[in-house]
Amino acid sequence: MFKRINPWVPIAGVVVGIAALLLTALGNPANMGFCIACFVRDIAGAMKLHSAEPVQYFRPEIVGLVLGSTIMAVATKEFKAKAGSSPATRFLIGVFVMIGALVFLGCPLRMVLRMGGGDLNAFVGLAGFFLGILIGIFFIKRGFSLKRTYEVTLSEGISLPAALLVMFLLVLAVPSIFAFSESGPGSKHATVLVSLLMAVVVGALAQKARLCMVGGMRDAVMFKDFSLLSGFVAIFVTVLIGNIILGNFHGFSAYLQPIAHASQLWNLLGMALVGWGSVLLGGCPLRQLILAGEGNGDSAVTVLGMLVGAALAHNFKLAGSAASLTDGVYSAGGISVNGKIAVCIGFAVLLVISLLNTSAFKKAAK
Amino acid sequence: MPQKKPRFIVTFHTTAEAMATEKVCRQNRLGGRLIPAPRILSADCGIAWSAPPELREATEQAIRQAGIEVAGFHEMALP
Repeated sequence: MFKRINPWVPIAGVVVGIAALLLTALGNPANMGFCIACFVRDIAGAMKLHSAEPVQYFRPEIVGLVLGSTIMAVATKEFKAKAGSSPATRFLIGVFVMIGALVFLGCPLRMVLRMGGGDLNAFVGLAGFFLGILIGIFFIKRGFSLKRTYEVTLSEGISLPAALLVMFLLVLAVPSIFAFSESGPGSKHATVLVSLLMAVVVGALAQKARLCMVGGMRDAVMFKDFSLLSGFVAIFVTVLIGNIILGNFHGFSAYLQPIAHASQLWNLLGMALVGWGSVLLGGCPLRQLILAGEGNGDSAVTVLGMLVGAALAHNFKLAGSAASLTDGVYSAGGISVNGKIAVCIGFAVLLVISLLNTSAFKKAAK
Repeated sequence: MPQKKPRFIVTFHTTAEAMATEKVCRQNRLGGRLIPAPRILSADCGIAWSAPPELREATEQAIRQAGIEVAGFHEMALP
């Protein structure tokens, strides 16, 4: 069962776990060394695509992950500009994957980091994520496809890495045109250079190892192949041990966890939306960044969908609100009515996309 | 290190083509199974068909007759 595990995958997992612990120790929010959804959301805020003041910061980690992937892909001759696989559909799925993640308050990577920090709410999220993946696999087994990609011009392949690099240089050169949180999660961050360099290393390793939470679960369920999944087990174990050593672990609990809420039905459904959407996309949000870095224009469009999804989530108050303790009064946090409706719409959209692109259902409709 | 055996590998542009290949091979009683696409063949996390090398000709023929588009045919040693 475990004989096919590629050693690069757990090695990448350990490095991601250590980098996440270090970034948290150096200033990032608790259990948020990395979070693709949260960091894309922060970038959307920094670019004034939304006006939620606590979550506005141009996260160098996103730039670093994409550039790390580009550097590794170029070095190993795997950089290939390709696109053409249902970009508009992927954009739409990206929007709802982001909304689902922000309802839960984290992408699949942060879900694992939260689990390693003792957050029981994240285990509920994991159950939802797994459920969503099973739904996606149901359609894949019946012929779901967003059609193939084709080789395209270099400009298509480097658009996102180049745009992120230019924006990042702009942030350094003219910070006054961007928004920066003065309080809340957006105000908590490691230094720019440390964040960037660590993310470059993680991005390069994630490209080399093909690290993907969705791919890991898909392979485990469909082929009993645990190679990719071993990466995320490595992240969990590394973060758990690291948190115990650093004194950040206080047992497993669902109560008052950092930037998390205890509205379990919506933790479950939010991550189910992420799981289902990610299977249709062929990779989790982290994987979309890595693929965009190695020249995949469709993944670049998906990332733009995620950016728009983040802006919508905050402009229309769809994102979850974290549990808090103010003057001794505990609030469990949770989801607004808007957020609940958005998740339901997300499931309806994914169902329609799944049915329209699954050969078994297309044949039945004829 | 686990012992590696020679395998005939078919890679695809989409998972739907991989699923269709599995169906065609089952209908033609051709041995093999779906596996995660080997990293050395694809940077994507796609799905590939893995069969014994002696079934290469019959498998290629069945895939072509079914009109399934493939990314490539390969032979390599896998654990």
